[in-house]
Amino acid sequence: MRKWTPYFLLVPTFIIIVLFIYMPAGVSLQTSLYRVLPFGRGMRYIGLQNFLKLFANSDYLYSVRFTILYVATTVGITILSSFLLALLMVKKIPGVRFYRTLIFAPYAISPAIAGALWTFLLNPVVGHVSYFFQTTMGIQVEWLTSKPHAFYAIIFASVWKILPFDMIFYIATIQNVPEEILESATIEGASSMDRTWKIIFPMVSPITFYLVIMNIVSTMFSSFAIIDVMTKGGPGQYTTNMIYRLYLDGFYFQKAGVASAQSVILIAIMIVVTMVYFKVGERYVHYQ
Amino acid sequence: MKKIIFVTLLIVVFSVSSVAMAADKINVQFWHAMGGWRIELLQEMANDFMALNPDINVEVQYTGSYGDTINKLNVAIQSGVAPHVVQGYDIATQMLIDGEVAVPMQDLIDADPTFDIGTFMPQVLNYYRVGGKLYCMPFNSSNAVMFYNKTLFKKAGLDPNKPPKTYEELLDYAEKLTVKDDKGNVVQAGITWNLHCWFFEQFMAKQNAGLVDNNNGRTGRPTKAIFNSEAGLKVFNLWNDLSKEGYMINTKVHDWTGARNLFISQKVAMLITSTSDVALMVKSAKENNFELGSAFMPVPADAESGGVVIGGGSLWMVAGKPEAETKAAWEFVKFMAESAQQIKWHTGTGYFPVRKDAVEDLLAQGYYSESPHNLTTIMQLLLSTQNYNSNGAIIGAFAEVRNIVESNVQKMLNGDLTPEEALATAEKEATTAIRDYEGL
Amino acid sequence: MKISTKKRTDVIISEIVLIVVSFIFVLPLILAFTMSLQPPQAVFSFPPKILPVAIHLQNYANAFKTVPFDRLFLNSAIVAIMITLGKLITGTLAGYAFANFNFFGKNFAFSFLFATLFLPAELIMIVPLFALMAKLGWVNTYWALTIPFMASATNTFLLRQHFLMIPKELEDSARIDGAGPMAYFIKILLPLSKSMIGGVSIINFIYAWNFYLWPLIITMEDRMKTVQVGVKMLIDAEGASNWGVIMAGTVAAVIPTLILFFILQPLFVKSLTRSGIKG
Repeated sequence: MRKWTPYFLLVPTFIIIVLFIYMPAGVSLQTSLYRVLPFGRGMRYIGLQNFLKLFANSDYLYSVRFTILYVATTVGITILSSFLLALLMVKKIPGVRFYRTLIFAPYAISPAIAGALWTFLLNPVVGHVSYFFQTTMGIQVEWLTSKPHAFYAIIFASVWKILPFDMIFYIATIQNVPEEILESATIEGASSMDRTWKIIFPMVSPITFYLVIMNIVSTMFSSFAIIDVMTKGGPGQYTTNMIYRLYLDGFYFQKAGVASAQSVILIAIMIVVTMVYFKVGERYVHYQ
Repeated sequence: MKKIIFVTLLIVVFSVSSVAMAADKINVQFWHAMGGWRIELLQEMANDFMALNPDINVEVQYTGSYGDTINKLNVAIQSGVAPHVVQGYDIATQMLIDGEVAVPMQDLIDADPTFDIGTFMPQVLNYYRVGGKLYCMPFNSSNAVMFYNKTLFKKAGLDPNKPPKTYEELLDYAEKLTVKDDKGNVVQAGITWNLHCWFFEQFMAKQNAGLVDNNNGRTGRPTKAIFNSEAGLKVFNLWNDLSKEGYMINTKVHDWTGARNLFISQKVAMLITSTSDVALMVKSAKENNFELGSAFMPVPADAESGGVVIGGGSLWMVAGKPEAETKAAWEFVKFMAESAQQIKWHTGTGYFPVRKDAVEDLLAQGYYSESPHNLTTIMQLLLSTQNYNSNGAIIGAFAEVRNIVESNVQKMLNGDLTPEEALATAEKEATTAIRDYEGL
Repeated sequence: MKISTKKRTDVIISEIVLIVVSFIFVLPLILAFTMSLQPPQAVFSFPPKILPVAIHLQNYANAFKTVPFDRLFLNSAIVAIMITLGKLITGTLAGYAFANFNFFGKNFAFSFLFATLFLPAELIMIVPLFALMAKLGWVNTYWALTIPFMASATNTFLLRQHFLMIPKELEDSARIDGAGPMAYFIKILLPLSKSMIGGVSIINFIYAWNFYLWPLIITMEDRMKTVQVGVKMLIDAEGASNWGVIMAGTVAAVIPTLILFFILQPLFVKSLTRSGIKG
């Protein structure tokens, strides 16, 4: 009986993911081989033409490059800053609980609303942030409409959104690092930098491993809302990544076949990245 | 005895079932994209209709933005649960026609002698007539109009009753209205309009210049974009010149609110926006203590005479429904197009009344003498020369073309492309998108 | 003496950094809150206001009048709770399978589940998913809003990590006592995982609470819609909108998640401490 238990345990999950995720996904991804007009009319089989056209499109290739840059930058900054902030948060400083709640706020807001609020704050003349910069430093920046500021704005909003999540995990695991190890290191003359980077960081590497891949998936798949509200992929497609392109082609231009082809490419890339990540990453993770 | 019982039973059954049939209402589903206080207004109008038509039940549903509504329609149609009446936006016109989604309004109008399409304003009808056929019922129409701050005009030494009419004057005024601090930062700019292809389309139409071939897609399906013309270059140059010198503040794409914000807080002296903003501007000017002015969209000094293009949305009737429901939906659409409803809608929102008799009634009521800015907007529409260019373009790939133009304008404003390059690239990319859609 | 001064500067610097960072993080929410209280003429003004000019509660009244928020809150709550429960049930069962059992096809099953992270419903498969809902007759029902989302790779993964930390001896002794695997699961494993379950619940709840696109598409009546759609209802497609009212709706929509986090926070942080997530 016990032999069959695990299979029974998995039944609910698998029924749902097969029926409601894999089957619809299969139908959708099939569309990548067709040319589809709006409202599902005129479905014509065209084989790999959608894919070939995409690979020959310089705008699409730009979005691929931009995606890599965007994801690497966002995830890198998020992991690093959440780790450093977590270090601060575990100190016995008055009001820490209070700060934790405030810093968690971005996670609770939906990306669309968050983007809209940042748009107000970053309005070039009447936005609060711009006003601050103007009165203190005398500079006027078009945050959302000029290069490279649009890039910074998007990165900032994305990091702002995900960081709280990472930070909470780091707080917990840093608190798990045994005091004795840190104390003996101090006694042996290790500087605070050494303690942080040579002891604490390696010891939390399992959680870092998990957070990096989670962040990659998160920035890949939920960035379209932030980009849509803040820059609409601009200026001039400067901040258009693969997800936003997919969103434009699928939901705004109603080009179902093309959007589906982009989904296939996106999923394929994610699978490859994950496989490589798991193989390579495991080496750098330090287990107890 | 048996016969009496039998007959009585028959009568009872008959009356019960006819009561049941009378109580059986026909359901009409209506999807719209009007948010805010307009939701209540639409529900009120639907309630008025239901009071007059007790056998019809109208379910009014908000379905997101215009884009969201099209997406929802797309999904619903492919699964067979589409509504009866749906509000589509201007640039989805050809897409909806190609999708064979709708019952052409023309068919219903031709079959219904009680409906006089002649009372509708030709400017509005011309937009929605494709190949001589009217596919949808005009409902919430708007144009572009220029608002300006008379108080700031006076401060800059400009005559508040002489708004700029030509591009040359516009540049001149914008320069005089721009105030910079000692670090060169713009403290007050001359003008703004949000970065939207719609304004490019309006500027072109006012010069009687087209966007695509085959008479703007109206006498045949478009095969290429043609806006890389002298007229197009004038628009791009204007846009570029204003922005380069800091006389114009550029918002992010489609940021209607950001542009309004700038004008209301008096950081810009002139604003080009939708005519549906009249009520807001009147109220805001009062609350912020400045005098409001309104004017027609400017044109180059030597331009051919053109007109403004209709924007906004219209009502589409979805095909494939049972005949009784289609008839009920048609009654609802007719009702919403009546003069009384159009006036109610216009005064409650800011969209034009789309009928001549509604305008006449409002005039008689003294409405236009009390609202000079509404007069500006209706006059600009009525004085528009009617031709294929001011009728607006019909392009299946319109959404993508708009995105391409906006993208290239941004590149121009950022200094990556000259106006000539931006315009040429935009036209080339637009042609590619059009050919792709048309399957060429 | 030297040590305590150094420590004090350390604390002061840390405090300053924390205050600045917290402020930046919560700034948009502050803005939303103050805008929700602004009277209409002060919403757009220069210099931009960070504090409300007056407390204009009318915005909230208007928001609730325009949109049936009470009904929408109920819908969102039902949907979020159902999805959370569903994810917990499938997640604990699946996590248990992956953590405590070895079976044929285990690695394949895990990858199969993990890959669902790359298949977000809203972006990739709206049309066929909707068609499926139509076939099942679930359009405009709570079922459509919840059941497709009741499995979760994230939940399974997190719970698996946690279960791996529970010492095997407990399981062995339970077996010796004659308890079957399900008895062990219900009587011992789950109670020991209370804090992790609490933590995962917050994530699930927030995720479900913030749904916009799918609820918009699958519901066919205004009274079935969810809170995020309700906030969007306050914004007009192209016309000018009353931003004070919109922000009132926004604040109202965000408050439940913040309250939930505040209540469950200690549980959440403690939970990760227990599981360690050491891999």
